[in-house]
Amino acid sequence: MNLAASDPAILARRAEVVTALRRLVPDGVVADEAGLKAFDGDALTAYRQVPLVCVLPKTKEEVAAVLAFAAETEVPVVPRGAGTSLSGGALPRGDAILLSLTRMNRILGIDYANRRVVAEPGVTNLAVTRAVEGKGFYYAPDPSSQIACTVGGNVAENSGGIHCLKYGLTTNNLLGVELVLPGGASVRLSQSDGGLDLLGVVAGSEGLLGVVVEATLRILPRPPLTRTLLAAFREVPAAGQCVADVIAAGIVPAAMEFMDRRCIQAVEAYCAPGYPRGAEGVLIVELDGIAAEVREATARVTAIARAQGAHEVREAADEAERARLWAGRKAAFPAMGRLAPDMLCMDGTIPRRALPDVLARMAAMSEEYGLGFCNVFHAGDGNLHPLIIFDVMKEGELARAEAFGAEILKLCVAVGGVLTGEHGVGVEKRDLMGAMFSDADLAQQQRLKCAFDGAGLLNPGKVFPTLSACVEQGQMRVRDGRLPFPSLPRF
Amino acid sequence: MTDIHATTEAEVADAVRAARQWKSPLNIAGRRSKRGLGRHVAQWGTVLDLSGLSGIVDHEPEELVLTVRAATKVTEIRDALAARGQQLGFDPPDWGPLFGAPAGEGTVGGAVAAGLCGSRALRYGRARDHVLGFRAVNGFGEAYKAGGRVVKNVTGFDLPKLMCASMGTLGPLTELTLRVFPRPDCSAVLVTDEMPPEDGLACLRRVWSGPLDPSGLMYRAGAAHIRLDGSAEVLKEKIAALRALLAGVRLRESADDFDAPMQAPEGALWRLAVPPSEAASVAAGSGAADWWADGAGGVLWIVTDVTADLHPAAARAGGSAVRLTGGGAVPPFAPEPAARAALTRAVKAAFDPLGLFNPGRMWEGV
Repeated sequence: MNLAASDPAILARRAEVVTALRRLVPDGVVADEAGLKAFDGDALTAYRQVPLVCVLPKTKEEVAAVLAFAAETEVPVVPRGAGTSLSGGALPRGDAILLSLTRMNRILGIDYANRRVVAEPGVTNLAVTRAVEGKGFYYAPDPSSQIACTVGGNVAENSGGIHCLKYGLTTNNLLGVELVLPGGASVRLSQSDGGLDLLGVVAGSEGLLGVVVEATLRILPRPPLTRTLLAAFREVPAAGQCVADVIAAGIVPAAMEFMDRRCIQAVEAYCAPGYPRGAEGVLIVELDGIAAEVREATARVTAIARAQGAHEVREAADEAERARLWAGRKAAFPAMGRLAPDMLCMDGTIPRRALPDVLARMAAMSEEYGLGFCNVFHAGDGNLHPLIIFDVMKEGELARAEAFGAEILKLCVAVGGVLTGEHGVGVEKRDLMGAMFSDADLAQQQRLKCAFDGAGLLNPGKVFPTLSACVEQGQMRVRDGRLPFPSLPRF
Repeated sequence: MTDIHATTEAEVADAVRAARQWKSPLNIAGRRSKRGLGRHVAQWGTVLDLSGLSGIVDHEPEELVLTVRAATKVTEIRDALAARGQQLGFDPPDWGPLFGAPAGEGTVGGAVAAGLCGSRALRYGRARDHVLGFRAVNGFGEAYKAGGRVVKNVTGFDLPKLMCASMGTLGPLTELTLRVFPRPDCSAVLVTDEMPPEDGLACLRRVWSGPLDPSGLMYRAGAAHIRLDGSAEVLKEKIAALRALLAGVRLRESADDFDAPMQAPEGALWRLAVPPSEAASVAAGSGAADWWADGAGGVLWIVTDVTADLHPAAARAGGSAVRLTGGGAVPPFAPEPAARAALTRAVKAAFDPLGLFNPGRMWEGV
């Protein structure tokens, strides 16, 4: 993939932009080369680009001032949380202001009576739970980067996590936001609005519609009991059927994770969690709730797993054993990372019944592309995370890895699934959108983008394969006869 | 003008293109069970009758996903799901009788477009949480789709949420893909003695903040009503835990129908969304004698005379109000602040630039 070429007209005005931003956010502008290097990408590590300038506001007023300035001068803006996006959602542009929200990191209020927390966008996901756990509450979305990723980034990406099978994605746990629009006006959007559900469409909009400067989050009471099971299978289809049977039986586990043989081997070599030998796949199933509920569900899941031929079913007896069962799953990334210098983490969702077929076809693709991979899978909701390993220094491997990944995602769509379950489209899957959506489907989404951002200044080059100007969408916005971003590079 | 009956998506698109050509608005109807909801606009033009766009397209019980044509009756869906031990999680109530229509007529497209959800939404989520994908026709006369058919999807903008509660103003839905849930084996309703609203609602909030995962928390007729779901054994433990949680409060099991169908009251019926802790004071402040609360107090139903305006009080409490019945001069939807109103209009125009779809049903021009 080629990154966007920077607009020379904006580069020529760089000094002027830096000066203006220093006036608006006196102590929060990074403009030196060494400083900017720290902001040159996110967790889609294959791509790097140094931003035009980085600004770190501390207040919503400063955010509004930056967006007003950007609109006036027609300089694009890329919003950024902690930079943990796996899809390049926060990948900077050489001709855009990088708007980092990490200094807005205060929890503004905790309202236990109404089970909600008001947080600035730069508060980390885990900090929300830390702030309320003393009273027995927690914030449910738990993306694996939760120690670092921010609430604002979670809203932009509609982040999920292991427990969203039962507790939903960010959007289901988000009660409201204050959003600064391109141009600097601000609106409050809430789940209890009587009008159009604009909050619903802002969640997961990948920084294309506005900048979240405050979020109100739902907190949940911590379930009194959690049990974790591990079931090992000699055949992948049996594991897949076990997942289907659990769901069909009306059991909603807090989490249900699958790892394939390749992943089990990698984690055994890395941290030896002691998963059963000879397994083609293991399932980790977590059940929570009140004691009777958990007891009953544990017995039913165990019976279903045995009926599907699991050769071993283990139940964690205590917290230490529970941590051991999870250790392998949580080590999947570093374990695979040890086998090669670079890794791509894919993120498609498929109907659960398609799992055996999709796994078999991915194995064939791996041979064809000559690249190693393994599968971790949020099995309960059909969200696949194939990890492809490669070496960017070896001629052509990055391109092969991307082609392999693209083929996996197209396969997900072909079996009735989607391109991304929780990581977002970003730049990574931008050019695959046509595999899932028709031109008419994409045009309708872009019209919505134009309703929020007629000038196309917020996070340009993300999500949509072609940037049709709002003029074509019936919402004219042309200045001096120029369309914003007339051409974006394609791959 | 004669109604247009569209029975396929292509016919819906034809109707929209014709309306576009004649610049004649379309008044979108399913089975016309909620015609009185929203603003009443005289010059609505042609009725686009979608009642023929009915039937279950695909139900995959093991995937917990259902695809239906938009004007499929909710009752038909309920029966089909019940036959496989499943249910719609958002529990859409039957509002037909509220608006003078017979019971059992409401369509799923209407339920989604009106953002209906019942008391089980407390546990399972609202309509917005359950629409995985849809097909629709936009104001350009183009059929398009959004979302997907799997439960976990962040590909592209979440237009399915936007369609919920949009009152048809963004265009006619033709097909919906919904999340479905297993039906619980058993349910029990426990009712307190009569107690003042403050106390009754405080009881409900204690249950809401506890571990029992209730499927309904209502305050009505002077008492708190608590519904719990589970297998017989689980339910026994939940009831015991509830009694411990509310020690000192007498609870009796009741065969009450938690969601009895509503009839149109004298006056105006309002539905408010407020922070649960504000429910009692908002209800008291309204001066209304007849009100009840659902969702641990987060949803408030208030019957007023037709001149009362609950929008300001709801906003002061940090929520909002919608007037459902009783057509006075008071608007059903609260006026929006300027920046928000501009955004609403821009979003409307993104789907319907000529203002063809139910224009004015929410606000002037929307």
